[in-house]
Amino acid sequence: MATEATFRPGTFVDEGGLRSEEMILNMGPQHPSTHGVLRLVLTLDGETVINCTPVIGYLHRGMEKIFENRPYMGGIRYIDNADYLSPMLNEIVYAMATEQLMGIEPPRRAQYIRLIVGELERIASHLVAIGTYGLDLGATTPVVWCFRDRELILDMFESLSGHRFTHNYMRVGGVMFDFPKGWIQNCEKWLDVFEKKSLPDLEGLLTGNEIFEARTEGVGYIDPQQAVAYGLTGPLLRASGVNFDVRVARPYGAYREIAVIPQIRQEGDCFARYRVKMDEMRECVRLIRTALDRLPGGSICQRTPIALRPQRGETYASVESARGEESIYMISDGSEYPYRAKLRGPSFTNLQILPELLRGNKIGDVIAILGSIDIVLGDVDR
Amino acid sequence: MDLTPVRGQNSENTPDLIAYDRNHINTLLSELTAIDQLIGANAPKKMLPAGMVSIDIPAERLVEAARLLRDTLGFEMLSCVTGVDMIDHIESLYHFRSLQHNWLLQVRVKLQADNPSVASLVSLYPAANWLEREQYDLMGITYSGHPDLRRILLEDEFQGYPLRKSFRSTPLVRHDPATTQVSAVQALSGEHIRGQERIVTKRFGQGMEERIHPGMPTFGSSAEYLKTGQGVIPTPEEQLPLGPVSPTGVPEATIGDEGKAVERERRADRLPE
Repeated sequence: MATEATFRPGTFVDEGGLRSEEMILNMGPQHPSTHGVLRLVLTLDGETVINCTPVIGYLHRGMEKIFENRPYMGGIRYIDNADYLSPMLNEIVYAMATEQLMGIEPPRRAQYIRLIVGELERIASHLVAIGTYGLDLGATTPVVWCFRDRELILDMFESLSGHRFTHNYMRVGGVMFDFPKGWIQNCEKWLDVFEKKSLPDLEGLLTGNEIFEARTEGVGYIDPQQAVAYGLTGPLLRASGVNFDVRVARPYGAYREIAVIPQIRQEGDCFARYRVKMDEMRECVRLIRTALDRLPGGSICQRTPIALRPQRGETYASVESARGEESIYMISDGSEYPYRAKLRGPSFTNLQILPELLRGNKIGDVIAILGSIDIVLGDVDR
Repeated sequence: MDLTPVRGQNSENTPDLIAYDRNHINTLLSELTAIDQLIGANAPKKMLPAGMVSIDIPAERLVEAARLLRDTLGFEMLSCVTGVDMIDHIESLYHFRSLQHNWLLQVRVKLQADNPSVASLVSLYPAANWLEREQYDLMGITYSGHPDLRRILLEDEFQGYPLRKSFRSTPLVRHDPATTQVSAVQALSGEHIRGQERIVTKRFGQGMEERIHPGMPTFGSSAEYLKTGQGVIPTPEEQLPLGPVSPTGVPEATIGDEGKAVERERRADRLPE
């Protein structure tokens, strides 16, 4: 957060001796293209962006302090709201951190269920990202189609966990419920329709679209060294040609048995980021099919004490969320409450590079670049 | 109770080192002797779950060590910066990733509890910019050399550091069980104070112009509002049942010095190693 006094326009003299003045343009926090309560204070010279100051914190809920004041199991419900477009993946990282502290491991079936719902959540999250990105650039049809497909995923989650958004489905040591009757057949049917009908339709709307390509190709280039130095992760990093995926580099859960093929593009522009997300959705479909085929039997949750008291220690658990590396650094002091739980949200780190990207670009590209970074403000502010 | 431990910390046969086998970790440990040579002592190292290595580095050698990590050992990414309040000291933790060697390293720097300060890593890792600002904001660690050390998530006027253990989001107030009811004076004036919360009992058609939202917590800028704002600050007599309020508007009767000492003792024996 910053006060208004921070932003003051300056004046400067150009080569011709003309005195001109900078303009401060305030974008957000209530703006449809900022995807939440993000405020950008843009300093403009004509149509060129000279500087950009993101102002964040409007959605800060003190999540890390909340974790310290809740039992371990209670944090799972709160972490749903961090990255509210992929709550399942948040829950997995929280449950994983606690499991690592306790020294237990969920049963194999639970790990496979986690993989299936996690990849479904990744598809749902990418669908929102791509649909709203098209909407930002003036294409109104994709968002309707994306939300139609996502709605069916949310229906599946509702029948599985009882909630559409804040699922509260993961448990320390496993998951809460097993698949209900007919869920797997329903999921397979959805995968078929999605892969054969929805994805090609969506691709036909955007990938070959001249306006979409003109507005995204070559815009917002990030080179690989810069991407790594800024700590970018997820599709943003892989679109710059860096092969890093937590599921591949340090596999966890069922990813130790089902290998992920990371989707990489070399171009590093907004279009490449869109293409990486599209490719990842195909990869997710393949992973879910493989996991459903190999789904082992057995129990879905390790038996744990009612009051979880992990032994003293610390851990750093990471998963590959839809937006990048989502990690929790957790300390246990042997009591029922985490001593400290630091949530590393991928959106927070990814958003840092925005001023660097916008500098020198035209104002029309601001939304195209911001949308391609794909932030969730709940994850930025926590 | 079925609690079969599948991995134990610091044990030799950790089954979780599937993706990161023992040799992989040993290579990292042998590379880390360069840090020992740099600081001229044997830096304490520890194995953490999921194949992570932790190393303690003295605060004054942090930047040199980070430069060595980045340029020589290949830790090109700074993933996370964390501040931890350990009551008797404050820790700043850095999680480095090496993409080329697939290593994960935790660097721990211990700082003094009052006025914790450490050199900033922004010159080496641009990612440290916001990550350090966040810890400054929430934990109160000063990163010297940081180009833009301002609060990032909370408003600029906020007072205190919320993730410190001494910070209380709901202040402890000595409640007299007999006075849970609003006193007659307060009821007539239409407001009473509970802790740092200024609660205004709305009565129809009265005091509308001075009404604050009921239950609005008065931290930071709102505490400033209590000090200078137009709202009515109750006279000391009116505050008596619920503890004295200092001139700054922040109640003094929260947790006394003896209470702090008791809590420090209680916390000290529960601290992780």
